[in-house]
Amino acid sequence: MKPERGSPIIDLETLPRIPSWVTSARAETLEDVAFLTGAALAVLHLVVSRGEVPQPLLRDRLALRAAEACVALAGRPERAADLRDEVHLLRPGDLPGPAGAICQRWRQAAARPMTPEGLHRALPDLTRAQIVFWLEEGQGGPVDRMAQVLEAVLAEDPRAEATALILADATLARVMGWNRLLPLFAAHLTMRDLRKTGDELRRACHRAVLASCREAVPLAHDLARRAAKLQSVAPKLRAKGAGKAVEIFLSRDAVAPSEFTAFMSDRAARRLCDRLVTLGAVRELTGRDTFRLYGV
Amino acid sequence: MARDRTEPDLDRELADLPPELRWHEWMRRIEAVLFASASPVPREDLARVVGQGASVDLLVADLAEDLGGRSFEVTRVAGGWMLRSRAAYAPAIRAAADVGGQDLDLNEFDIAVLAAIAYHQPVTRDGLKEIFGKEISRDLIGRLNAQGLIATGPRSPSRGAPYTFVTTERFLVAFGLESLRDLPDREQMEDAGLASPGGS
Repeated sequence: MKPERGSPIIDLETLPRIPSWVTSARAETLEDVAFLTGAALAVLHLVVSRGEVPQPLLRDRLALRAAEACVALAGRPERAADLRDEVHLLRPGDLPGPAGAICQRWRQAAARPMTPEGLHRALPDLTRAQIVFWLEEGQGGPVDRMAQVLEAVLAEDPRAEATALILADATLARVMGWNRLLPLFAAHLTMRDLRKTGDELRRACHRAVLASCREAVPLAHDLARRAAKLQSVAPKLRAKGAGKAVEIFLSRDAVAPSEFTAFMSDRAARRLCDRLVTLGAVRELTGRDTFRLYGV
Repeated sequence: MARDRTEPDLDRELADLPPELRWHEWMRRIEAVLFASASPVPREDLARVVGQGASVDLLVADLAEDLGGRSFEVTRVAGGWMLRSRAAYAPAIRAAADVGGQDLDLNEFDIAVLAAIAYHQPVTRDGLKEIFGKEISRDLIGRLNAQGLIATGPRSPSRGAPYTFVTTERFLVAFGLESLRDLPDREQMEDAGLASPGGS
């Protein structure tokens, strides 16, 4: 087992928070909203570069949230729990359902490096040239560029919400200099917002980015705390392969015990998950007795 | 997906042609590719036969207009485009050629089950049983599967982890749908007199 790195509590206290003048402010004009968005993005930028935050897990959880929002925008009834089930119960060779397919696209977009090749898997309806164009050629600040992407993609195909939103988040990540896409603002735009254009759309985008930072930063804090807890109990785990299991928990929204069977027996995997729940390090996410899924 | 078929002899840019002829030639190329393909061709593939900056969508739109008076048309299905004969000529085509082998061999109830899968996917046989109030035979499911209209989806998190069923791209092509969101909604069905207003 690896020795514990420093004291997690001290590390967590230095993790930046969004100042209260940003979280409590009510802004109406585009200028005021844009000012707050900038402040919030600056804090998020610090948070996504910190080692205490399990970044792959944060991205995966935000991807699920974004997928849930996209599925709702497409008028489908599935919620996050259904999407989780689809992801974990799909076997090689089977086709995902329509909602599961949207979810796969978001998870791929958030997990792969931000290259045109990597993004093309998540954006099959765009050509590589189009992806490169939007990532490289945009003008203006990050949020203005997101608005331009949304407007252009939806003008061509009004039903390509998922494509437009994934590409918009990719544009933001590119402008911010992140090496991975963070699924941020899909969950904070309504169908009405997506129909807007020009300054109206820009204001809606600023609001959505602000709202998503207000959600993502506390989520990052929460996950960092839970990750510290999981790492603190890790040395107590005797099972062979427990270290690997902990690593998987820190990179995925949800895990089925069967995903550990590559390096431990089925029974051992189940017992490990139950033990982690007892220790308060992971939660069971489905509320079912069978086909259970666990997550930090 | 995304195999890079490089064809060294293909001059994509056509820099020596005047703009109007260049555009026309790109349109013809798209027409040729669609003509030669039995399945929908995605934008990415069409983009490979025209100039770097050329808009495939605009070219396809111009091609569609160009084909205005012909017996076939460009349609958008399943995330790509294909050429298909216009429905008005179906009787003529049937009279001239034996197309029996290409017909979907489905009876009314098969179609009803297929529609239920399309609307409720991913759905298990048990789920279909609830919808129809009777057992849906493995045979029927097998027939739809053999015709490539449905495929197995994620397992259901219930006893025995039964398969769910989902519709395929071939389903979209067969029924001329661009995506599942083209399935008529409740309001459209009421307008067509196919569903009673205010619940089933």
